[in-house]
Amino acid sequence: MCAASTAPAFKIKEPKNLSPRIQWLRDYYFVGARRAWNNEYSAWTTGTDWDVQFDEISYYIVPEMYAFNQTFRSSFRQSARVVTLHPDFWSWSLPERKAWFTKEVMVNCVPQELLPGDLIAGARFNLQASRCWSEKEAKARDALIYGTKGARAVMKWFHDHGYGNSGATSGHLVPGHERALTIGWKGIHADLEQKYKALSESDKKGRKGAQLRAMMTAATMPRDLAAKYAALCRKLSAKEKNAGRKSELEQMAKNLDRVPWEPAETLWEAVQALWINHMLIMSDENYPGPGVSFGRFDQYLLPYWKKSMADGMDRDFAKEILKCFWIHSNTAYDAMVQVGNQGITSGFGQLITLSGLGANGADMTNELTYAVLEVIDEMTPILEPKPNVRMHRNTPDELLDRLIDMVSSSQGAPFLLNFDERSMAGMMREAKRANVAHLINENNVHEYAPVGCLENTMVGNDRSGTVDNNLNLLKAVELALTGGKDLLEFVDPITGKRDPIRQDGPKTGDATKFSTWDEFWNAYVIHTKNIIRRCVEVYEASERIRAEFCPTPYLSCLVGGCAEKALDITQGGAELSFVTIEGVTFGTTVDSLLAIKYLVFDKKECTMAELIQALRDNWEGHDILQAKAKNRAPKYGRDDNEADAMALAVMDLWAEETWQYKTKSTNRQFRPGMLSWNYWVGDGYVMAASPDGRPKGQFLSNAICPSNGADINGPTANANSVGKVLGGTADGGAADWEGYLSNLPNGASHTITFNPSILRDPEHRKKFKAFLRGYAKNGGTALQINMIDADMLRDAQQHPQNYRHLLVRVTGYNAYFTAIGRELQDEIIARESHNRY
Amino acid sequence: MKSERDAIKGLVLNIQRMSTEDGPGIRTTVFVKGCSLACAWCHNPESIPFERQIQWIETKCIGCRTCVKGCPQQALSDDAGVIALDRAACTLCGICVDECPALAMELLGTEWGVDELADEVEKDRSYFESSGGGVTISGGEPCMQPEFTAAFLRECTRRGLHTALDTCGLCRKEAFDAILPHADLVLYDIKEIDPVLHKRFTGSGNERMLENLKHVRDTIAKTGSKTKLWIRTPIIPNATARDENIAGIGAYIAENIAGAVERWELCAFNNLCRDKYRRLDLEWDFGAEALLGRETMEHLANVARHSGVDPVIVHWSGATKFISDDEQADNDAKAHMRLVKGC
Repeated sequence: MCAASTAPAFKIKEPKNLSPRIQWLRDYYFVGARRAWNNEYSAWTTGTDWDVQFDEISYYIVPEMYAFNQTFRSSFRQSARVVTLHPDFWSWSLPERKAWFTKEVMVNCVPQELLPGDLIAGARFNLQASRCWSEKEAKARDALIYGTKGARAVMKWFHDHGYGNSGATSGHLVPGHERALTIGWKGIHADLEQKYKALSESDKKGRKGAQLRAMMTAATMPRDLAAKYAALCRKLSAKEKNAGRKSELEQMAKNLDRVPWEPAETLWEAVQALWINHMLIMSDENYPGPGVSFGRFDQYLLPYWKKSMADGMDRDFAKEILKCFWIHSNTAYDAMVQVGNQGITSGFGQLITLSGLGANGADMTNELTYAVLEVIDEMTPILEPKPNVRMHRNTPDELLDRLIDMVSSSQGAPFLLNFDERSMAGMMREAKRANVAHLINENNVHEYAPVGCLENTMVGNDRSGTVDNNLNLLKAVELALTGGKDLLEFVDPITGKRDPIRQDGPKTGDATKFSTWDEFWNAYVIHTKNIIRRCVEVYEASERIRAEFCPTPYLSCLVGGCAEKALDITQGGAELSFVTIEGVTFGTTVDSLLAIKYLVFDKKECTMAELIQALRDNWEGHDILQAKAKNRAPKYGRDDNEADAMALAVMDLWAEETWQYKTKSTNRQFRPGMLSWNYWVGDGYVMAASPDGRPKGQFLSNAICPSNGADINGPTANANSVGKVLGGTADGGAADWEGYLSNLPNGASHTITFNPSILRDPEHRKKFKAFLRGYAKNGGTALQINMIDADMLRDAQQHPQNYRHLLVRVTGYNAYFTAIGRELQDEIIARESHNRY
Repeated sequence: MKSERDAIKGLVLNIQRMSTEDGPGIRTTVFVKGCSLACAWCHNPESIPFERQIQWIETKCIGCRTCVKGCPQQALSDDAGVIALDRAACTLCGICVDECPALAMELLGTEWGVDELADEVEKDRSYFESSGGGVTISGGEPCMQPEFTAAFLRECTRRGLHTALDTCGLCRKEAFDAILPHADLVLYDIKEIDPVLHKRFTGSGNERMLENLKHVRDTIAKTGSKTKLWIRTPIIPNATARDENIAGIGAYIAENIAGAVERWELCAFNNLCRDKYRRLDLEWDFGAEALLGRETMEHLANVARHSGVDPVIVHWSGATKFISDDEQADNDAKAHMRLVKGC
């Protein structure tokens, strides 16, 4: 087939209004693997035989990586260059070694470079740096990783058997950027010094002293790196012929002389400082941009923007600085650029938050909000940073009109909408449940910001492990059907090894003997509690390893609580330190329960034994029963009060149970959320057939969304169901926040796909705007709008070369359509498109 | 009270939420079954008969023959995967519908009580409020179930929901007397101004409907009610999509109801209902018609604007042929050239 010669049948959004500088940088970025410069991982070692760079724990939540854990470990070790160590290196504590090593690598080993025309310094940062373990530490840590009881085997068992995945992962927080800009690293360092001096002599010698010394070392890393970049700018300036560029380079050098060590004063300084502060987190964690989010970008940068505007900075030039920042954010993807932009590299989620409520119900939209939206619009399609716009009851029409314009000119919304009222209700619920009302209360809850995709956290003092646990709620249905055993034998797809079926869960009895729905429900309750406990246990295995062996002293400097407690963020140092369990397969679970109730108990269409046999047979030879399960049984997502009551019962049960746990090693409270990343696709091949009529191999439901195709009553019904299962609304004191309830402090991913014709003229755009305002009242915490024509996607499947920049959003992270797997492509195409003529 | 209201039942075909085409804002449209007209182009042929009907939806059928085996009248047969219904033998007992595992057998027409229907439509109150939308009762012809329509709209009004009646106008005058007090908006069709053509297209002349329209105008004026009036004209290729028809309707509006009409909408034909005819074993003359182009709709809207009505009341809506931006630009350029040549 001569696909290459076919012209694209549909237009995709093109960037616009780009200066030659930005056009070049953007085009250069998209050259990808063929670029002369890139930000690929570079690996660095202490030179010991036992050294490790690649920390597999960060990837325990990425099942696609399981087969490669050992390979990555070995290959990074082999390619690692030796760093000459400080003579005292091995006499220091682990956090001190780690802080020194990362600083040494970033300042003295990794080259400092600047792309032509770039206005922001800070290029290479993707590291696989030594974990700095002594031989004893390396052995102790490996003893916890390897073996049949080790963390690796435990988490793999959990995934293989369909429970989901779990692991202590990097990023996923909003660091205290505002503070770092306001007081500079100089201020942070002084604060650390003061806290260190205040320690008793014995504390200084102990763990606390080591941690604070490590953090002080880390706090000088941005200063020393900025000095190197300042020198580079001066060197380039000396050679520069173009007077305009020469003066830019001189100004950049001056900026870097000051920031990020000194407090920022101008927009250029603030953006420069922000970038260095941010990129070094990724260096510190050895992980590119997993939900390391910027928080309320248009709020804390506003004073600098205003000052620079007042000082006469050209607005377009200010946008140019921001656009450079955008390009830099995308270079995180270079980590494995040779592998291509596939799989995990599609969804890093360096989230920026725009607009939203302030104190006393004020709307915080400002001139910078609009400038940033212009930047996004002009740069789109581009992946990072991912914008999240906070909407609420009083969001001005002007902002909504602007957003809808952007939606209608893009293939989908180039941003995610977060809904303040429902989100803040969730944060207030969290405050109540975890007794942290002194940290989250009605005076500051509006300062929250989402991280990663849409996971709500507080800012600057909060790590809530938002993607660390992804639990398939559906597993409890399977176990209730079997009395606590896997329905199907697990066969390892690579080795062919079989795991005999065992009594893995509590014995809840023979489901074929249940005579009432309540008996089944009771078994389901027991198994839900069981799988949550299991998840918590699996998590503990990696959490304790990270706490003991994987300090991130640089990141700890940027998170409130760590200095105060002299405790690394990986050890629970953050003032707000939650671990989130993301409930996956919610819609499939609810629909499966509804189907069991309907088929076996209410309508007696089949016996429980027949249903179980159908599931064992993957529905093959049970077409009629499968059709009944799919079509006749009620479904969640239709605004059907009875079905949604089941959904709420499922939600209440698992959310309540999640609050029962804390990590043992770090004392972090578990909290519930709903985000499914892409697990609902992959785990569809792992989990057995489900009673809702889904065969093994077909996708599960995504996050809080109804099952694919279930939402036959359109977007308002879909949104109402989502709002209801989050708790809906309540009067007065019963509400979590101003009339709203929310079961999920983390928030819940909700995607609705619309046909572009919903925005075809101003009148319809107005109606769409009203839909969003209605959603704010009735719907969930966040909404991703996909505005895609199914025909366009089919054409893109046929002719991917014509659609390289076609972005689609999946679970709140966006991805290039042509770069995602065929199954996920088909799924996106298959989604109900709501607009009917 | 509740039981009394629920005692009044209506035969409802379908409830469509987030309708953006049936009046202002986001609406929930209730389509009743049974129509006094039988338009040749009807998009909802299943809404014409007043009786309930059974249809087989091929795409949902899994070929299990449950329906064929279960029909007490043996009215269903299976010919190589195609289920045929002997409509003369069918008693509408509904067994096939109840037993079809795939919902491929559908019984068109469900009885709803006033309260339960109001509960259902009220679910989208938030969206009505945010959009200035509400409830539209359409059809079929809701004025052919006047007691139910009046009671339903009254109940919606009582609940503070905006109400709209979508009518072709062919009914007893008294139906309007019962319904109008509870309708905030009337969407009134004038499809064809020529009575002979009207009869040919719809099965009835338009005289009574135009007369009823004046009655609606007078009733609104007499009672000083705030009910708004919109006129809607379906634009059907090779039928109503004629300049002289649009000009004629415009002249009629200008002469008779000018002050009372807030909006005149030209609604573009669509062909998305082809399958519906097939399922009901009906032929459809318009099956082969393509969607109208934007250009045609713009042209007719222009005719409407020059027909004597206040041009600002003229709108057009509906799906038009998909054309890419390039094609659109090309068409715009051509139109511009024609204009230049015309000068």
